[in-house]
Amino acid sequence: MYRLMLTTALAAALPLAVAAQEITVGAANVSSYLDPGRDHSNVGSQFYYNSFDTLIDRDHSKLDPEWVPALATSWELIEPTIMELKLRQGVTFHNGDAMTADDVIFSLNRMMQATFPPYVVRAKDRLANFPMAEKIDETTIRIHANREEPLWETLISLQQVMIIPEAYTKALTGDPEVAEDSDFEAFALAPVGTGPYKVETFQPGEKLVWERFDDFWGETAPLERVNVVQIAETASRITALKTGEADIVTNIAPDQLSLIDNDPAMKTAGSATALFHVMIMNQNHPKLEDPRIRQAMSLAIDRDALNEALWLGKAVVPSTHTMAEMGALHQPDLVTFEYDPERAKTLLAEAGYDGFEIQFDTAPTYYTNGLLAAQAIMEMWANVGIKGKVNVQDQWSGNDPEMMARNWSNPMYFADPFGSFGVMWAPDGPSQSEGRFNTDAEYAEMWDRFRYSTDVEIRKAAYVELMDRVKADPAVLPLYRPFESWGMKNSINWAPMPGHIPYVLDFRAGSITLVGS
Amino acid sequence: MIPYVTRILVKSVVTLFAIATVTFIATRLSGNPIDTFLGDGLTTEGRAELIRYFQLDGSLWQQYLAFLRGALSGEFGLSFVDRRPVTEVVGDRLWASGQLLLASVGLTVALSIPLGILAALYRRSWVGSAVMMLAFTGYAVPSFILSIVMILVFSYWLNWLPVVGNATFAHFIMPTIAMSGVLIAALTRFTRNAMLDVLGQDFIRTARAKGLREARVVLRHGLGNAGVTVISVIGLQVAGLAAAGSVVVESIFSWPGIGQLLVNAALIRDYPVLQFGVITVAVAVVIINAVTDLSYALADPRIRLARS
Repeated sequence: MYRLMLTTALAAALPLAVAAQEITVGAANVSSYLDPGRDHSNVGSQFYYNSFDTLIDRDHSKLDPEWVPALATSWELIEPTIMELKLRQGVTFHNGDAMTADDVIFSLNRMMQATFPPYVVRAKDRLANFPMAEKIDETTIRIHANREEPLWETLISLQQVMIIPEAYTKALTGDPEVAEDSDFEAFALAPVGTGPYKVETFQPGEKLVWERFDDFWGETAPLERVNVVQIAETASRITALKTGEADIVTNIAPDQLSLIDNDPAMKTAGSATALFHVMIMNQNHPKLEDPRIRQAMSLAIDRDALNEALWLGKAVVPSTHTMAEMGALHQPDLVTFEYDPERAKTLLAEAGYDGFEIQFDTAPTYYTNGLLAAQAIMEMWANVGIKGKVNVQDQWSGNDPEMMARNWSNPMYFADPFGSFGVMWAPDGPSQSEGRFNTDAEYAEMWDRFRYSTDVEIRKAAYVELMDRVKADPAVLPLYRPFESWGMKNSINWAPMPGHIPYVLDFRAGSITLVGS
Repeated sequence: MIPYVTRILVKSVVTLFAIATVTFIATRLSGNPIDTFLGDGLTTEGRAELIRYFQLDGSLWQQYLAFLRGALSGEFGLSFVDRRPVTEVVGDRLWASGQLLLASVGLTVALSIPLGILAALYRRSWVGSAVMMLAFTGYAVPSFILSIVMILVFSYWLNWLPVVGNATFAHFIMPTIAMSGVLIAALTRFTRNAMLDVLGQDFIRTARAKGLREARVVLRHGLGNAGVTVISVIGLQVAGLAAAGSVVVESIFSWPGIGQLLVNAALIRDYPVLQFGVITVAVAVVIINAVTDLSYALADPRIRLARS
């Protein structure tokens, strides 16, 4: 039996032996499609930065934005609402096509003038200020804005406006001269970009193989080949790291970290994800119309205790809807959300709360620790006299008028308060359109100043006013930023970079090194 | 024989229709795909636009009729996520699941029939007791526990066996054992009991009295007659394995088969993939059952005659 085991172990090891500069990533999830334009999921965000470029990039090793040239070598505002960009020459797509100004315009306008519904949805919430891009000559393009834009570089460096080849995409299906919906759908299975790694194999939901792209315009990729395989089960991911089947594994829960850290051959890297798990409350539910009840629901929750119990203290509990990644707009001294059970009791008494049941909806597994947090919140509510009940259901209830409270998330889609609170709680944005959050002309005016003022101080002041509104008439309580960890062999030097949106697996030059290569 | 086969076919078609309907309803009750696979932060208007795009805007009845029309013409739609025909998405995974199923059935038959015979022949010695103890233990341990324990011992501690995928022979060892554990236990018990029943019959005594060798008595006359019971158990258990066992085991061992695909599709509510995946598994189960029924008839002329 022992001989059999040994033989099979050898058989197993042979195909797994990795050449230098080749690594295997065991990912909890592998995308079912790869299209940076329509995707903003946590799963997809892992993969785009290695294969695609934007016109402007940022130094991702720094928390504060420092913009660097990418497919544009320079850019300037020639009018308050027009940015002119000079394009890098000699850039080649993975399929061998040279990148032209037409490709850039096609890529930008597929979003800015979107007709493909998944693009339309993404463009509306973050690129609505940009009606179009136009070609001036072979090396120059212009992007137009409807209004003065304080976030030019931030928005032009979004994953959604990564550059893709026009002729290749249009020729994927149907008429090769026309961009049809089916072309974009086909592109998502055969993606082509200009980044340092080309997609060599893509088996949706199963496997992705990157190969170094030798004609990359920038610094050559440090790895020859990266295999990403889906290993859904946490125990299997950790074991794969131990057996050598994987060199890096993703999504390790806090209580599993010691398994890896206690092994001398392995280590972990982690960070608080730029995403809030939040509790939302329905301002328009007949029983919750009095803001004092919602204030009490919020003040009763000891978020530090949730952090200690569920995240071993590694999550980040915010005092307001803000993140360090937001640079000059980060306002850590602002206190919007507190734990004050005594005040909660007082408010409930003042509001005449008669002990009616407040239902808290949660899906069983969608948010890590979501159900446990909901159960703990019920205990905390009970401590101030609120009768709560957890309702576990898969169905999204945020648009249900009967919804009283539930969990949700507010990700940071880009490093600005507009990329998080600004998208989710915009006038006519997702929350208001679902009927659980109200805005008025005053709120819209504050939001407008916060979104569009080109003076940082005015934006900050407007954000404080918005947070005051949230405090006075709460519809949201950010619980914490969950802690996300990766496990890896000691021979790998890699860690999530602070300048990226959550979950990006950045294997570009300067981001990863292998010991001995 | 022909009416018997016809009856099996009609029964199979009705079963498949019922499964397709239940799957359709169950997927619709479980949540909207737009809410799960596109992430948080859609406006009501944006959601409506996507619901239209993915043709989920008709009434349930209209969607059901469209689904049935498609199914009858062999069109099961496109995956919501990667927009490939679901026949292709599921087809890509069929061979991997088939391999694992065949390996598991092979291992089960190879181990449990000899073990069952052994347990019957030596029922009063320690050999029989040991085999039965193993069988009871195997029956009581669910496949996910067996999988995790094997991973812990043979991969995490000993580093002997790989845990991810199906690239080499070594990759088959743990998933095959995990898939077949309960099946081996069940079949060993049934084989033992069937053998005990048969070995106590008069014709066995007659065979022995004729002076036949014991091996011939046991294998030809004993197993030959116990075969109907054994076949029925193999059929039932393999059908169960195809339907449920692969979902757990494939997920744990990242086996690129239908089970893993179904779990992913269920999590993100990819209705078309889920529907066609379940129907594919159901077809496999119906075929296995039909083959089992026919095997009965072939193995035992009394059944064939009685049923026709």
